Amino acid sequence: MKFIPLIWMGIWRKKGRSTLLLIQISIAFALFGILQGLNSAVKQAIAKSHADRLYVLSRINQGEPLPLALLPTLQASAGVRAVALRAQLAGTYQTQEQFILGIATDIRAYARIYTETKFSGEAVEALEQKRTGAIVGRGLAQKYHWKVGDRIPIQSMVLKTDGTGDWVFDIVGIYTEPEHDEQDNAIFLNYEYLNQSRLMNRDTVDVYCLLVQDPRVAPEVAHKIDVAFANSSNETHTQSETELAEAELQRIGDVDFVVHAITVAAFTALLFAAGTLMLQSIRERLPELATLKALGFSNGRVTLFILGEGVFLCLMGAALGLFAATRVLPFAWQYIGVGTVPLRVFVEGFLLAIALALVCGAAPAWLGQRLKTAEALSGR
Amino acid sequence: MARNPLRQVAVLTLTGLQSLHRRIGPSMVAVIGILIVVVVLVSLLAMGEGAHTWSTENARADRAVVFSRGARSAPASVLSRDAVATISSAPQVKRDSRGKPIASSTSLVFVEVEKKTHQRGSLVLSGISNPAVYPEVKLISGRWYRPGLHEFVVSKTAQNFDVGLQIGEHIGMRGANWTVVGTFDAPGGTFDQLAFTDADTLMSAFGRTVFQEVVVVLNFPGDFAGFKRTVESDLTVRSDAYTELATRESEMGDLRGLLDFVSYFIGALMASGAVCAALSSLYCTVDTRRQEIATLRAIGFGAFAVVASIIAEAMLLALCASVLGAILAWLVFNGKVVSTQGLTFPLAVNAHAIAISMIWSMAIGLIGGLLPAVRAARLPVASALRAA
Repeated sequence: MKFIPLIWMGIWRKKGRSTLLLIQISIAFALFGILQGLNSAVKQAIAKSHADRLYVLSRINQGEPLPLALLPTLQASAGVRAVALRAQLAGTYQTQEQFILGIATDIRAYARIYTETKFSGEAVEALEQKRTGAIVGRGLAQKYHWKVGDRIPIQSMVLKTDGTGDWVFDIVGIYTEPEHDEQDNAIFLNYEYLNQSRLMNRDTVDVYCLLVQDPRVAPEVAHKIDVAFANSSNETHTQSETELAEAELQRIGDVDFVVHAITVAAFTALLFAAGTLMLQSIRERLPELATLKALGFSNGRVTLFILGEGVFLCLMGAALGLFAATRVLPFAWQYIGVGTVPLRVFVEGFLLAIALALVCGAAPAWLGQRLKTAEALSGR
Repeated sequence: MARNPLRQVAVLTLTGLQSLHRRIGPSMVAVIGILIVVVVLVSLLAMGEGAHTWSTENARADRAVVFSRGARSAPASVLSRDAVATISSAPQVKRDSRGKPIASSTSLVFVEVEKKTHQRGSLVLSGISNPAVYPEVKLISGRWYRPGLHEFVVSKTAQNFDVGLQIGEHIGMRGANWTVVGTFDAPGGTFDQLAFTDADTLMSAFGRTVFQEVVVVLNFPGDFAGFKRTVESDLTVRSDAYTELATRESEMGDLRGLLDFVSYFIGALMASGAVCAALSSLYCTVDTRRQEIATLRAIGFGAFAVVASIIAEAMLLALCASVLGAILAWLVFNGKVVSTQGLTFPLAVNAHAIAISMIWSMAIGLIGGLLPAVRAARLPVASALRAA
């Protein structure tokens, strides 16, 4: 422990060079943190998804509507605790750029399935009372200064029976997503109102969301539903939330490969830079190391000094870089849907830092070992 | 003694390069740092370029697409039979030998398919009313679909990569079995995930009464402006016309934006790392050449010449690195097939991607050389000489 000040002095002997090296190490680790963070956060999102939630979609493809007539059969299926139907109303508010996603559903069933979305008891009640009502996300309410009682006009490509796409809703409540702040920007509507007011796709839903009693029976329930509708004119494909999340990951594509390739490239560059600079630094200080040896420091101690400097620098760089990654990653949310660096990435990062230091320090340490005290001191 | 500043710069740069082998370590670090930035940037940009080329290379200038007003893609568009008839009868639309307009009203169904890699893929079953709008689509085996029957033809690419699309196999949709009766081939990537069937047959199977888009072949590519005016000024139709190129570009727009953002973000991070490497390398150059530089200053070389020669050395190193990097990226990545967002396309390492990376690497060299050069120019001549 008492040698730490000595190691510290050694690092800052040439301020400019060490600072540059530290910046390089930080950048490489920031890149590592961001890329691996994205990668494992996507995987974590899959692990966190709810296996007891099933989604009944059209067999043909996910966007194909299903008839409302399936509802009683689904509600009567064994093992199903709640069914919420869902239809989307995509629109814009005031300008073409201000996109609003409306989710038309049966709000009571929805609130029962999605417990992480917090509706107040009155809001659910109020929406059931008010046909044209809407429960808006807190994020949206703050952005557009909406409050309960306001009437909001939404422009949509979904046409009403009067042939226009001008929808008007009355705000009856506000909801929050404590676990995912980013997701509180939709508005919940009454399916009944949307369905009876729209010109096309009457009596269809986009998806049925089911809550099953036990995640273990979910695959069986899903299979039974698909069998029940097989060979009908509306074949279904029922999947759990986990399966859908995995499919989404596949859709993103060759992310694993790209992430690994870039990380390897960045660290290869860093390895060269750090290795050369450390070697150069030790070479310049050979007389100093010789002095230490002459003072009675063993070969092992000297090696430890040399490696210690590298480990210190790399750990500092890793800490700075990973911290930067935690600041940057939230901005990626809108593209990837994840925004935090998992703990695992920190652990991997620091282990990588130590490994990097040992690899880069190998040559300088070997140089220090071979050092002939007398020769170095006499300046040869 | 050369009085001309440019000759001074040339002489100094040459002497600098002659002693390069003595600082081979730090110089290699700078070169490798920049090289890796170039390889990464070129290959990431090649993804965006590849997606763009793949989707637009075979777009025809004499083909136009009409969506309902405000819609920028087929799924969001709704066109009635009346609207379709009006659009098809526009005077700019080419007519076949019997005087029938070469126009096809289209209704699309997205079908989930399983790829042979067990991944999920999607096939677009496009119900068309007139195959003549796609003259580049050629049947290579089987036969064309017959209207009124649940039959379709599928692209060779989809047949090769997806499960269950061989001739004679079926897909169940809306209680009916749709049979693959033929395979077609078309140049470029836009037809890869397509299957064609008869529009009316598809619409009656799916209970649809409206179309989603109209594709027309124009008399001449220059007729587009007139066609657009005709279509958009007709108030009963309420629709917008786009060139085929514009439609394909906007379909790819989001993905392109994402890929470019990722490229520049990661590129910028790695470039700042490379700037640091270049800086330490060039500081090292200045340090080892202290006495040499001081001597040169003493015998009359100007401060500008010293600054310029060191920047020149940095830029030359960056140039070498970027050329090597571009060649490496081209060898390794050009044509490599990637898949993202359900699309599969080859990377395109093209002049644009390489030019951008070269400019970046030159900028890295410039920044990396500037600070050390200023230090060299400020070197106190007398004390540097005494240190010898």
